[in-house]
Amino acid sequence: MRHHEEDVMGTVVTFDLFDERGFNDRAVDEVFARAAAMLRDVDEVFSTWKPQSPVSRLRRGEIDVASAPPQVAHVLDLCSYAKEVSGGWFDPWSMPGGVDPTGYVKGWAAQSSLAVLASLGATGAIVNAAGDVAVAGRPTPTGAFRVGVVNPFDRSVLVCVVEAVGGVATSGDYERGAHLVNPFSADTTTALASATVTGPDLGLADALATALVVGGLDALPFIEALHGYEALLIGHDAKWSRTSSFPLASGVAL
Amino acid sequence: MKRSVIVTSATAVGLTGVMLFHTAPVGMTVGALPTSAGASTGTGATTTTPTTVPATTSTVAAAPPPKSKKSTTTTAPTTTTAPTTTTTANSGTRSVIGEAVNYYFGVLSVEVTATGSKITSVTISTLQDGGNYRSQSIDQQSIPMLEQESMRAQSANIQSISGASYTSAGFAQSLQSALKKLGL
Repeated sequence: MRHHEEDVMGTVVTFDLFDERGFNDRAVDEVFARAAAMLRDVDEVFSTWKPQSPVSRLRRGEIDVASAPPQVAHVLDLCSYAKEVSGGWFDPWSMPGGVDPTGYVKGWAAQSSLAVLASLGATGAIVNAAGDVAVAGRPTPTGAFRVGVVNPFDRSVLVCVVEAVGGVATSGDYERGAHLVNPFSADTTTALASATVTGPDLGLADALATALVVGGLDALPFIEALHGYEALLIGHDAKWSRTSSFPLASGVAL
Repeated sequence: MKRSVIVTSATAVGLTGVMLFHTAPVGMTVGALPTSAGASTGTGATTTTPTTVPATTSTVAAAPPPKSKKSTTTTAPTTTTAPTTTTTANSGTRSVIGEAVNYYFGVLSVEVTATGSKITSVTISTLQDGGNYRSQSIDQQSIPMLEQESMRAQSANIQSISGASYTSAGFAQSLQSALKKLGL
């Protein structure tokens, strides 16, 4: 396998390629470079930490969506869909300081860069964007990708292992502090310690995980109604629950 | 703001966790890790050390050199052959500070001390988080736990880890640059 890491979007994103046949090193390097360049481009456009990024300027009202790079309108459309299917529990428009698609961008960018990696035709590929994981294919011709989920109360242990075929996104405020905003009350208390969502698309999975952490059981019916997306919920009381088809590949230990 | 957090004691598990960051700095991609002496629990591992208690020095030697600046080639995780040990035994005790890395709350850098090819301590050299109380408490909780994370991951036979993660990225990145400077 080949491994690459990229310091981008204020964190480290890792790429892994799995293949039994062996690689042409130059082709692999090239595909890593292309995937990394895509992430850097996304960061330039969407970073809310860079004052002159198009999204920062949009938030300040200096430009409108129409005059921003076309990806901005595209991502805001996806955010709008995520808001709708989450019953409003994921809402970039309720963030302080103006519309903030950051909660969608990381997963979306990882999913997009995975498509670049997958174009090589390897047996399997993984993009891990600081804990949000997108996989394509398999680690071996017969195996399945197994992704561990971190225990929100003790990062040194895993709560469970899931069998991943698309995206695995986990949200919680245990690592980053109170940064999740309840769109209905505007406060930053969370209903859950963490939520993990699996599904075909990492961008939407990430948004739904955020919705669940903020909305808890109130948000759960909306996720249950979505075909292909499953969730594991861990409460502040260390009790857990999951949707019926959550792809557990191990027991759950808390 | 400057403070130090002694991350590792001399426990084999902790040190092995640090070693694992060498090739998978985020501690997220287990598949990228070489089968080190301590972590190989599969069959056919040609290890000369007990499988449950890793010898720290051989773990260091087991890490293959990076192929390029940021990419590494390793054997597939299903291949349980331990990497050939080509120890470049550096003697003497020396300390190196890794690059200052931006992370979500600010800037941190990691200091690594090694004797020979054995790491004896890993500390946070600088941590500028703007005095954010919340981030300090998070740092204090999460940073000491980082090494063990990848250790646990390895034993669970997984290819990646999903979790809310920001601090670990900066920590691991600075640590990796320190390890590189040390030639480990």
